[in-house]
Amino acid sequence: MDNVVEYLPLLLQGLRTTLLLAVSTVVVGLALGMLLAMAKLSDHGWLKRPAYALTNFLRGIPEFLVLLVIYFGGTQVLNSILPPGTIEVSPFVAGLIALALIFGSYASETFRAAFQSVPNGQIEAGRAYGFSAWKTFRYIQLPQIWRVAIPGLGNLWQGSVKDTALVSVVGLDDLMRKSGQAAQSTREPFTFYLVASLMFLLITLVSMWIIGRLEKRASRGMAGVR
Amino acid sequence: MVTPNGHGNGRAALEVTGLRKAFGSHEVLKGISLTARDHDVVAILGSSGSGKSTFLRCINLLEIPSAGEVRVKGELIEMTQRRGEPAPANMKQVDRIRSKLSMVFQQFNLWQHMTVLENVTAGQIHVLGRDKAEATEKAEAMLAKVGVADKRSHYPSQLSGGQQQRVAIARALAMDPEVMLFDEPTSALDPELVNEVLRVMRSLAEEGRTMLVVTHEIGFAREAANKVMFLHQGLVEDEGEPRALLANPNSERFRQFLSGSLK
Ligand SMILES: Nc1ncnc2c1ncn2[C@@H]1O[C@H](COP(=O)(O)OP(=O)(O)OP(=O)(O)O)[C@@H](O)[C@H]1O
Ligand SMILES: [Mg+2]
Repeated sequence: MDNVVEYLPLLLQGLRTTLLLAVSTVVVGLALGMLLAMAKLSDHGWLKRPAYALTNFLRGIPEFLVLLVIYFGGTQVLNSILPPGTIEVSPFVAGLIALALIFGSYASETFRAAFQSVPNGQIEAGRAYGFSAWKTFRYIQLPQIWRVAIPGLGNLWQGSVKDTALVSVVGLDDLMRKSGQAAQSTREPFTFYLVASLMFLLITLVSMWIIGRLEKRASRGMAGVR
Repeated sequence: MVTPNGHGNGRAALEVTGLRKAFGSHEVLKGISLTARDHDVVAILGSSGSGKSTFLRCINLLEIPSAGEVRVKGELIEMTQRRGEPAPANMKQVDRIRSKLSMVFQQFNLWQHMTVLENVTAGQIHVLGRDKAEATEKAEAMLAKVGVADKRSHYPSQLSGGQQQRVAIARALAMDPEVMLFDEPTSALDPELVNEVLRVMRSLAEEGRTMLVVTHEIGFAREAANKVMFLHQGLVEDEGEPRALLANPNSERFRQFLSGSLK
């Protein structure tokens, strides 16, 4: 128990990094997912096909492999362009790119389905009243897309939080790595991996509560439907 | 013709000239012209598939006409060619003109995530740029006019079809449109709900709103409209003053349609 108290600041540092990576992943991943969904729904094959190819590819290979390819591949590419040593791909950036790509790929499917769930008549009504394409998206489609997408995105968020643990392998000082270090120095792996698990569990519980709130807010007035 | 509500008195509100529309090789509209003056109520009749909806949707460019001209209050909607297809020249102009042409749909098409009040204020705020207080005041007045003021905080899914359609009419009215386009506004309603909507539409006709109404309600056409247009196979097969024309159509097809043999 004393050891836990002693190593707590270290673990909390790791927790901070984990949360920072997870939140950044979701922010970038949501934007990417939305863009990919729009590309998939576009009438233009030159937008549609690459979007499907990319997301099917990314969803088809293990997350861990995506991370390794970006971390090592990214460093190699940068080294070949710039003089060696000028710039390195940090574990955080590699992790962010990999996890955001994966999040975006799955989110694009969630968003695509959500887009299609908004009846065309409502979109036409917007256009017929003089809403521009953007305003129709912003005020008519987006609020309803959210409503449908939130549960799916919530699951993806939970997945991303857990996937951050993978990034410790390429050297990110996250909760996983910090608890590993503490486990090694104190020779109490069970204690520290248990503490780390509890912290992950705490994140999960808090996010479930927040997602529940968001879901409730987004579905105001929709109770009567379905 | 001059009537107390001003039918036929006004200046041209909507002028459609030589409108054509083809879907692929299927030519649905083959050159339709229509002038609606301020306060005119034009009933558009025709059997299923004759192109009535397509005609209305070409006027506000929900469908892009293959040829022809549309003028609203004298302003021509500018068209151009893009990759060999007709296309609007200026989307900003189209959006501005659309805000003057409120459409009422067969399926209501209310925005499901907004309350009744929000449905009626959204266009005023986001398209016309009115502030919230002004839009709310206008919306409340329009909801009262169509008799659903007590439903302002409800969501569309909590209303009957007749109530939803009246909200949709309030939404249309709140835009202060130059011309209202109705596409079979009562066709999706249970029979017992048709009259509450027709009553509202009659009152709009009486107060001098300019309306184009696609309908199967011959009674409404006879009593509320000052002009009837019968579409058949993409052409205006017959048109005229409702009472005279409905009693005695010029066209044999229109006569058959009215007697119910063509539907
Ligand atoms: N988007 C479209 N693509 C292809 N064909 C279409 C399209 N919209 C309409 N049509 C065709 O155009 C013709 C006229 O359709 P329209 O909906 O205008 O008829 P309508 O007179 O409104 O019929 P109803 O009384 O059934 O509503 C029909 O043959 C229809 O199949
Ligand atoms: Mg129709």
